[in-house]
Amino acid sequence: MSEKILEIKNLQKKFGKFEALKNITFDIKKGEVFGFIGPNGAGKSTTIRILLGILHANGGSAKIFGKDVWQSAVSIHKRLAYVPGDVYLWPNLTGGEIIDLFLKLNQQRHSARTDELIKQFDLDPTKKVRTYSKGNRQKVALIAAFSTAADFYIFDEPTSGLDPLMEEIFQKNVMHLKNEGKSILLSSHILSEVEKMCDRIGIIRQGKIIETGSLDDMRHLTRTVFVLETQKPLESLSQLEGVYNFKPVLDKEGVNKATFTVDSENINSVLEKLVAYKIISIQSTPPTLEDLFMRYYNQKEGSR
Amino acid sequence: MRYNLFNQTGYIIRFYLRRDRFLIVGWLILIVGLMGGAAAKFDSIYGTKAALASIVTTLKTPAMKAMFGSFTAKPPYTSAIIYASEMMVFMGLVFAMMNIYFAVKNSRTEEDNGTLELIRAHSVGKLSPLIAVIIELFVINLINGVLIAISLEFAGMTGTDILGNCLFGLGLAAFGFMFGMMSLLVSQLANNSRGATILSYLILGFTYIARMLTDVKNTNYTWITMFGLIEKLEIYTENNWLPVLYMVLSALLLLFVTIFASTHRDVAAGLIPTRPGRRNASFLLANPFSLILRLERISLIIWTCGLFVLGISYGSIFGNIGNLLKTNPSVAKLIGSSAIKSSNHAIILNFAATLSVVFAVIATIPAVITILRINNDEKKGWLEQIHARGISRSNIFFSYIAVALLCEALCLLVALLGMGFAGMSAKDPVSLLRFLRAFSGYLPAIYVVSGIAALFTALFPKIQNIVWILPIYGLFSMYFGNLLNFPKWAKQLTPYGWVNRVPLKEVQWNNGVVMIGLTLGLFLISYLIYSKRDLLES
Repeated sequence: MSEKILEIKNLQKKFGKFEALKNITFDIKKGEVFGFIGPNGAGKSTTIRILLGILHANGGSAKIFGKDVWQSAVSIHKRLAYVPGDVYLWPNLTGGEIIDLFLKLNQQRHSARTDELIKQFDLDPTKKVRTYSKGNRQKVALIAAFSTAADFYIFDEPTSGLDPLMEEIFQKNVMHLKNEGKSILLSSHILSEVEKMCDRIGIIRQGKIIETGSLDDMRHLTRTVFVLETQKPLESLSQLEGVYNFKPVLDKEGVNKATFTVDSENINSVLEKLVAYKIISIQSTPPTLEDLFMRYYNQKEGSR
Repeated sequence: MRYNLFNQTGYIIRFYLRRDRFLIVGWLILIVGLMGGAAAKFDSIYGTKAALASIVTTLKTPAMKAMFGSFTAKPPYTSAIIYASEMMVFMGLVFAMMNIYFAVKNSRTEEDNGTLELIRAHSVGKLSPLIAVIIELFVINLINGVLIAISLEFAGMTGTDILGNCLFGLGLAAFGFMFGMMSLLVSQLANNSRGATILSYLILGFTYIARMLTDVKNTNYTWITMFGLIEKLEIYTENNWLPVLYMVLSALLLLFVTIFASTHRDVAAGLIPTRPGRRNASFLLANPFSLILRLERISLIIWTCGLFVLGISYGSIFGNIGNLLKTNPSVAKLIGSSAIKSSNHAIILNFAATLSVVFAVIATIPAVITILRINNDEKKGWLEQIHARGISRSNIFFSYIAVALLCEALCLLVALLGMGFAGMSAKDPVSLLRFLRAFSGYLPAIYVVSGIAALFTALFPKIQNIVWILPIYGLFSMYFGNLLNFPKWAKQLTPYGWVNRVPLKEVQWNNGVVMIGLTLGLFLISYLIYSKRDLLES
């Protein structure tokens, strides 16, 4: 088993009476890209801010490189780089000045790689931050992070202000880090991004981690979508065990066409029974991350 | 079709007034409290003919003219006349500060936040937000003015009359409104709220110093200084309404220029252009300390220069003071020394001692601003990236503190040096080194104030602004304490009152050591609390 970069156990955080984090538990292994997804207000940023030692947890433990995130914040941060979703920078400094400052604060220097990144992201470093858009401020933080030699990178919705072109450059650089064996925590709403890059995914909802695993693992936990056309009427199909979201498509002759979803564990038994309806055509789509996402997000509290 | 430049103005005014209601009430309590509180006390202080005669002689001295404005009233004197003369310039200053605060907050700051953009995106006229601020300022000043008039009427000092009371209130209101318009104009020129505030205060400071110099040298010119208009009201004697007209006209003129400037620029852009900056950080910008120093650079320069000029301005009238005070020993009562030494040196040093407190209080302001920035910058999200680097909280915390301590020491020093240098022009000058006693004397005291500010930052981040009571009350108790016969304990409520009258007296070194010890203790406790709590979120 490989070395764990991040280890979070039963992490809890309260703001007054509000329980922002109820129970957060997950690990990130060395060399792994971990996708952290969940609806707004679920506790993603709070978790990350605890990992950075900005907030103090009320219970549980969080360790990076095997050290406590609160006690050893400074030594952990020497090997860590972070990009928040909303980057706020000093309005009267230039982007170039801030990039250099950030590097120096980690005892590193402006390198050829930094210049290359500035070029890739197409940033004018001589402009004052006051004149930058949200996307440009994000670029400053991204350039500083990517040119920092670290072992663990945390990105909290890092591309929310970037255009698709820049998003691609971001993905390219993340893959570059991945190939170098770095570990990455990526919190994002752009599911295609997560699907493409992440080895494992953690879904957080209302302060709890409700699922972790690889995308393949999760597909087993979910439903496949079918579009079916038959010669015999289909109504009775909705009664079968494991069939959900049955939506008939009405024709003149009655219901001969429908879409529905099937639980992974019931696929075999459902398919066996479909033959009796005389299939004209059948399509099945594996669940995308988006389906997973929607399924988990729409769940009512306590339904799992 | 409705004239769409002014669409929805009424709604925005109501929104602004509603949003600012607590702030408005806060300023009202401060201003009316100061005015009414002092008014209620004046009859008992200046009840006798002898007391009146002595204070009039005092107020006619150049030193007092420099601080309170020229005294032009003719006998018979009443406590109301003394009151008007002592309060006018100081209250004018407070009114101007209130107006700068609201003007910048509701114009430039709104733009910086991007709120204005959201408002303008609705069916709101181009000029509506600006007109709304103008009317809000008008309303705030008017309420303040009317309440002042009412409170003066109720206080019922000897010598007041209803016309004078109204003139007092409305005169201050017009004065405040004029500075509000000035600040609104500046908000159009500057390209961020901080710049607008700094520029407004520079103009205020400039007019104040011009007023002081003309008051001491030749009062005929006072009215051109803009600030001096308020001294020409001659309340409770002539009750001259003409300056109010001048102030209203100036305000209208400024208002039209503001509207013109505003229609000739884009939202969030200033008329003063921005230049491209450095491509790389200089080698000096490498840690939190140098970062904060770099961020505070402009305001540090402005505060230092401002205090130096203030010191020079006061020092330059030392020549006048030395000569005149010799024949007016009763001034000693006001300056607070019991010993009536009639040597020029003693008189100059006595005046210098009063000024030193003023300098000490003003020097604390940039330091307190810097210390409160620990939380303010945090809230803006500026420090998140620094926390995420290998930088400890102690490094960040003490970097702010170090910049603050450095800044206030420098400000105090240059103010005293300015005063000392300019004082060399007096016939019988006091040596420069003597003035530096005030530096050694007051430095520990202002450090204690910084320590208390740090404690508030750590312990009560949400209500940290309360710490401003220290310099505000400090200035008030030291400036007016003697005139209002404050008891000793009331002057010693703030650390400024713990220092003896340096540079007149010897520095109390053991006292200073205790205060430095207290300061270190305060910083240490503050840090321990700060390092254990959650940081603020935006």
